[in-house]
Amino acid sequence: MITLQLLVNGLALGAAYALVALGFVLVLNATAAVNFAQGDLVMAGGLLGVALAPHLPGYLPLPGLLLLPVVLVLMAGLGLLLAAAAYLPLRRRPPVAVFISTIAAGIILQNGASVLFGPEPRAAPPLLSGGTLDLGGLVVAEQSLAIIAVAALLIAGQQWLFGRTQLGRRLRATAQDPEMARACGVPVTAMILITFALGTAFAGAAGLLLANRYFVTPTAGGDLILKAYIAVTIGGWGSVPGAVAGALLIALFEVGVSSVLSYPVALGLLYATLLVILVARPQGLFGEAARRRA
Amino acid sequence: MRKGVRKLRALAPTLTLPRWAGEGMMLAVLVAYALLYASPYGLRVLTVAGVYALAAIGFQIVFGLGGALSLAHGAFFGIGAYATGILGSQWGLGFAATFPVSLLVPLLLALLVGLPVLRLESHYFALATLGIAQVVHLLAVNSPGLTGGANGLPGVPGIVLFGWAVPRGLPLAAVVWSFVALGGLLAWRLAHGRWGRALTLVRDDPLAAGTLGLDVGGLRLAAFALSAVYAGAAGALAVHTQRVVSPEVLEFPVMVSVLTIAVVGGRGRVAGAILGAVLLLHLPEWFRFLERSYLIVYGVALLTTIVLAPHGLTGLLDRLFPARPVPLPKPEAPPEMAIPGGPLLRVEGLTKGFGGVRAVDGVSLTLEAGTITGLIGPNGSGKTTLVNLISGLETPDGGRVLMGGTDLAGKRPDRIARAGIARTFQAVSLPEGASVLAAVAAARLERDGSIAQAEAHALWALERLGAADLAAKPCAGLPAALRRRVELARALARQPAVLLLDEPAAGLTDGEKAELASHLHAIAATGTALLVVEHDMGFLLPLAGHVLCLDQGRPLYAGPPEGVRSDPAVVAAYLGEGA
Repeated sequence: MITLQLLVNGLALGAAYALVALGFVLVLNATAAVNFAQGDLVMAGGLLGVALAPHLPGYLPLPGLLLLPVVLVLMAGLGLLLAAAAYLPLRRRPPVAVFISTIAAGIILQNGASVLFGPEPRAAPPLLSGGTLDLGGLVVAEQSLAIIAVAALLIAGQQWLFGRTQLGRRLRATAQDPEMARACGVPVTAMILITFALGTAFAGAAGLLLANRYFVTPTAGGDLILKAYIAVTIGGWGSVPGAVAGALLIALFEVGVSSVLSYPVALGLLYATLLVILVARPQGLFGEAARRRA
Repeated sequence: MRKGVRKLRALAPTLTLPRWAGEGMMLAVLVAYALLYASPYGLRVLTVAGVYALAAIGFQIVFGLGGALSLAHGAFFGIGAYATGILGSQWGLGFAATFPVSLLVPLLLALLVGLPVLRLESHYFALATLGIAQVVHLLAVNSPGLTGGANGLPGVPGIVLFGWAVPRGLPLAAVVWSFVALGGLLAWRLAHGRWGRALTLVRDDPLAAGTLGLDVGGLRLAAFALSAVYAGAAGALAVHTQRVVSPEVLEFPVMVSVLTIAVVGGRGRVAGAILGAVLLLHLPEWFRFLERSYLIVYGVALLTTIVLAPHGLTGLLDRLFPARPVPLPKPEAPPEMAIPGGPLLRVEGLTKGFGGVRAVDGVSLTLEAGTITGLIGPNGSGKTTLVNLISGLETPDGGRVLMGGTDLAGKRPDRIARAGIARTFQAVSLPEGASVLAAVAAARLERDGSIAQAEAHALWALERLGAADLAAKPCAGLPAALRRRVELARALARQPAVLLLDEPAAGLTDGEKAELASHLHAIAATGTALLVVEHDMGFLLPLAGHVLCLDQGRPLYAGPPEGVRSDPAVVAAYLGEGA
């Protein structure tokens, strides 16, 4: 029973991580830019939930779920801002310039949050009423199930958007070859802006989902960007299903090791695993070959 | 802004300064500030600025010159701090013992993790080093027995130099800044010497650096390790300034500060590190109303600089006060490399597969001294792969590359280059920030004793190709034909016994091709063996004494150039079956 419980917890955590990693990989594919602010954007989404919670009408039974669309829209706006300030002016410069500019954006977000909210951990409202469900002896938090459901819906929505719509085809064309896409009449800059908005909205959603169970602090982003990165590395650099699978794997590992040993040990082992994978198999466990220095 | 710069330049049209003038002026201003104006609090800020300047100078070596965005620099700083903190407060050891240990521990860790991690490309490397930093932070917080855990260790003793306990205030600031001066001088000399030049070439074009005889991995590792020593020294001094060590020294803000200082000051410049440190450590004092959120200022400064002034403050200063143009050296022929006669290079049964495709499949060839061999074949027939295998950019699956009895197959590119093989690339790559002379001189860095000598030899090579007038021009913006010429000069400057040319005539006019052909004949006449990959038969067939044709990695024809056009197998390969 305990193992099953851990499995549900791990899946819920993994679902949220998957959103983080997915947003990271979408931006990476479309722009070849590593968005170092992705972790801080997750934090921003969580704090947005914290800030908006007092304005919720108290009689409604679905507190967090009502916030979700608001957070998604606001975060998409933040994503546009991020692209305009930290990506578009640097697109013709070496990738390291964008990497540093997103570090800078992350610093601004992180410290802006610490000025507005202080360093204490805070909790966003639960998505549903916040109780537990008894599924024939297996007691699970409603929040866990809600996280899994919401993340699954968002990921499915992303798959539908990219796979079945005209906009999705254009987004994919941009990701594959921006020059070619431009030659075919795709408005590449707009596609990049949309990708940033999507990636940031996913990070924000993940933040809202996580910030109820795990709390949120302004400095939480550092670990999250590494986890997103590990997920993407495990799943194969640039692969969308790989990122989701990698995120689930990390979360299960984290929950499992934390329950037996401790969270710091789990975290340390994760980073050690990252280093081992990078050195031994930089193309990821199922990915195409990553580029290495000669 | 550009207009303003031009206006200011017009005011001082004759003002050109030696290269060290900016650094000297800055130092004078700092000393004057410390002696005349600084309050006790001001001196404390200045001392901390010195600590960060030292860390940032180290960061300039690995990031600015080496081009590797190491996010472990903060960790090395913290490890240096903890080494001093633990030995000083727990073991009661003095500065003379703790300081060397604070340099040594980060150095050892850098050597240990550097070997595998430095092979990774830009962001892989950055995030791997961030992972290292997070692990170190976790260890510090979670081993309270050693580090005092989250609370840290109080009671770190001050600096004692030759029996003199350095008091706080001006003396401590002076000691810290003496270390900055020492470290800055060393880094400046390294950056402007052969080692610094080699490192910047590794940053700009690691492939070319290897084929020019530079040990890419060794240079990177040395830069990473040296930067760790600087960070460790800065960390030790930081703890002596604060008298406490806590996990804060290992948190991301330290790394952020160092990165911001380097970028805002100007990448790769010692003066940039000092200027950036003094400015950014004083910024929060000027923006005091922001209190602990001074890091917002860092973030905004970082973002603004990277977008608006990619070369930082020193870059802006350079545009205001352009350096005096350095006179060209006298061209000087490098000492003759004895090239033996007879077969110089023997390739036997070379094989290479990518996935299921055999790109090169059992190729053998012999290059005789003073001859020109043409390598032809349809696209995808394995010509460039063969050149890459011989020059060490790819590792063969089988076969031998024999030169003077030594098998070079699978050896590192720099080893192969030092054995006497030089090459050019199909897509010419020159370091865009460098002058033509510096780009060609890079070929001599591994062999010559000084940069001046390397440049004299480089000018000789340019002269031999009739391109000496290009020497002072920047590589960026050079037309394609001249870029090929510069690249050929760079290969020639190595005085290779064997020269591999990958499509040297691509994009040239007929006149330029004729000129190139006469240059290649002249090079062969000195005993060098040439292997020329080329599609242009009108250029190649009159040039080459021997032609090898590949198809799908296999030799199809080997013989005199006259026989190529009439060989049925070659014709079929080019025109398709049944042609």
